[in-house]
Amino acid sequence: MAVEMCRRRFSVDDYHRMVGAGILCESERVELIRGEVVPMTPIGPRHNGCVNRASAAFASAVAKKAIVQTQGSVRLSFFDEPEPDLVLLRPKADFYISAHPHPADILLIVEIADSTLAYDSRIKARLYAESGVPEYWLADVAAGIVARYTDPVDGGYRDVHTFRRGAMIAPALLPDVRIAVEDLVGD
Amino acid sequence: MCASLSKTWSATDREREKRQVSVEIHRRRFTVDDYYRMADVGILKKADRVELIEGEVVTMSPNGPRHAACVGRAGQALTLRAVDSAIIRIHGPVRLTEQTEPEPDLAVLRPKADFYASGHPGPTDILLIVEVADSSLDYDRKVKTRVYAESGIREYWVADLPNGVVFRYTDARDGTYQTLRESRRGERIAPELLAGVLISVEDLLGD
Repeated sequence: MAVEMCRRRFSVDDYHRMVGAGILCESERVELIRGEVVPMTPIGPRHNGCVNRASAAFASAVAKKAIVQTQGSVRLSFFDEPEPDLVLLRPKADFYISAHPHPADILLIVEIADSTLAYDSRIKARLYAESGVPEYWLADVAAGIVARYTDPVDGGYRDVHTFRRGAMIAPALLPDVRIAVEDLVGD
Repeated sequence: MCASLSKTWSATDREREKRQVSVEIHRRRFTVDDYYRMADVGILKKADRVELIEGEVVTMSPNGPRHAACVGRAGQALTLRAVDSAIIRIHGPVRLTEQTEPEPDLAVLRPKADFYASGHPGPTDILLIVEVADSSLDYDRKVKTRVYAESGIREYWVADLPNGVVFRYTDARDGTYQTLRESRRGERIAPELLAGVLISVEDLLGD
């Protein structure tokens, strides 16, 4: 509807308390985006397979230069705790057992988009840029392309480059970590 | 080999992005049980003026003195006229569904010996709901009208303070009210289910 309601925004603390209180089940696939609890779309085999392949490609390329996190949480602000498909994190001795990664820990976020493309590209790109995530790759499986967003400023990424199959992409903060587009969108 | 197209987003592009119609977000909906549990564990506090509307926790804007005066005056007028034929509740919860528990400005309820101590009133207990609308007019007229009609609330009045009119909605069918009447100062109105409880429009709008 056109009329905007003022929804009560929940903080990350509220969100974790909901799990503790049994309001949200541990097994529910949800994220906290701008203070709202948002369900994540169920993972189909194509998406799952793409994330698996991307994870393997990053793991062998980064060696010990970064931690590869798949489908885990990152705490971006008081009101934002999404679960990106894949995140490259600065190495940390405890592998982030003590606390979810914060924006300063993040080298790259990768989202692999099937049906969630519109949501990912608009809302999440803005969210990641606002939080200072230095680089964001959005892999559009259906179109077979990867959009690479860099240089977050004023709530948006200043540069976006599009890559097709046959290309290699490397994150700005890890220029030796070269990933084939096929490893993100399939052959 | 680098097959790429590059583009630098200008400030105009970013502005256009922000203005575009927002993408539909599917939110996790909460039940009244979840809602009460949030209060139990301190996620919602007394200072949070909230309602649960269709599974979403919605904040109510603070009421200015004019709004509060109208609610007080209307509550008193209804209580005096209704006597024993109804219970008048101000800013009290009504439980409409498993996911909807608003706190309307005024609710006129069927009499009950325990005054609903055993459970909040439901749709069949409610004879009339009144919302006083100062800044919240759009929300009260559009969102709440639909929510109340869908739960079968028999009659719903919106006292539109800025425009000096009381909208009276009746005949809830298929999720909307089929009949809408407008009443202005100088008229006296009563709920359909309590024809003897006549109040003046001034009792709702002020002078």
